[in-house]
Amino acid sequence: MAGLKDVKLIVDGKRLDGRTPTELRPIKMQVGVINEADGSAFIEWGNNKIICGVFGPRECIPKHEANPYRALVKCRYMMSPFASLEEHGKSGPSRRSIELSKVIRETFQNIILAEEFPNTEIDIYIDVLQADGGTRTASITVAALALANAGIPMKDMVTAIAVGKGGDELIVDLGKLEDNFGQSDMPLAFSARDKKILLVQMDGLLTREEIEKLLDMAEKGAEKVYAMQVDALKEYYLKDEETKFKL
Amino acid sequence: MFENQKDVTGLISASYCWFRLEVLEMSERKIVVPGEKIAEGMIRMPGGYSEGGATYATLVGFIDETGRYVQLESRYTPMPDDIVVGMITDSRHAGYSVDLALPKEGFIPSRAVRITLELGDFIVARVRTIERDGVVELCEVRRLPKGKIVEFPSAKIPRLIGKKSSMLNVLRTNAGGDIVVGNNGYVWMSEKCDIPLLLKALEIIRTKAHKPGLTDAIAKFFQEQKR
Repeated sequence: MAGLKDVKLIVDGKRLDGRTPTELRPIKMQVGVINEADGSAFIEWGNNKIICGVFGPRECIPKHEANPYRALVKCRYMMSPFASLEEHGKSGPSRRSIELSKVIRETFQNIILAEEFPNTEIDIYIDVLQADGGTRTASITVAALALANAGIPMKDMVTAIAVGKGGDELIVDLGKLEDNFGQSDMPLAFSARDKKILLVQMDGLLTREEIEKLLDMAEKGAEKVYAMQVDALKEYYLKDEETKFKL
Repeated sequence: MFENQKDVTGLISASYCWFRLEVLEMSERKIVVPGEKIAEGMIRMPGGYSEGGATYATLVGFIDETGRYVQLESRYTPMPDDIVVGMITDSRHAGYSVDLALPKEGFIPSRAVRITLELGDFIVARVRTIERDGVVELCEVRRLPKGKIVEFPSAKIPRLIGKKSSMLNVLRTNAGGDIVVGNNGYVWMSEKCDIPLLLKALEIIRTKAHKPGLTDAIAKFFQEQKR
């Protein structure tokens, strides 16, 4: 790729945005932002802005897809036309958004107790308002919050984080430039309690030792994100009665 | 009819009994998110998931002062003998379809009703059976007179009824009309009610559902509004 050598991703041990290799971008989460959805959440992860609404369990349409043993989990990830400089979201679903919808759906199929709702579907709608690298991990993080807000039973919370290699160093939570010009990028999704890996994808090349190190780093990063998820839920349910109620 | 609503089976009353003990303020309670441990040992409980010798939460809830796990969000799953409120959406020779705020519409067989129902009628009925495909069969159908139906979070319905219908009685006496609460989350209110006032009261109950002394607070709210 042109310009690959031009971008120095690590200068004096600091990354482009001044972070240390294991530092995360600033993250803000909010639960219960939409009235009409059964559950909803909003996340600002660095410059990423993602909103998620969850519906269901509701009647499965088309009916022939319904599974008599479990609920179908459906996911629609979409980028808004103004999400980034590239042509994302300009004319409906793209190859990329279809892939992301699939991986997010499969992440949650393993964690939702779908057997409790046979013949139904659970819809996860994710809209990326602004993208700056790492939207799939931020989407999974925010969708877990929305599902918890919707009262859909889950075995565990889901926390996602990307790790990778840029400027010959192992880094956590890759931004857009690190994603595009780094040597490798590995988004991971964990279940929060038992640290089971629910999603792993990889771009570029990594050695076996590097992957082992990155998994450790990702777990530590995921713990930080999980703490923020818990705080967001606590804030919503504790303030429920205090501030939202006005006569 | 509504006094027995919460004493159906042990399993259901376990999920409904959070309003019986309320001492702590909400802010002093521990919020539990899915995946957090709620009990040692594999205990079957609503909203719980057992694995590896412990029980974990599957829904957002809190731990009350007796150590009981109480759900804050949940979806209504119909059980036999539940009282539900719904609206007729279809009438056929075999019976009627009813909107119950569930993934599948409920069904009233013609033999279960002697009255003729029309599309758009509001009804209150008892759940007879739940079929394998999720269709709820209803019995003991009563037609509700002219009124309005609003949706209320089903996890907080027990609070709307109160101990021995205490909250419901407060609402009925102060709103000036009848109110019927379905376990499925639909609340019917008669057109005689002061509906805007009642909606305000419902909003207070919804947002303050876990505060102690809520029934008195609602009674006070009505007194203030009447002044």
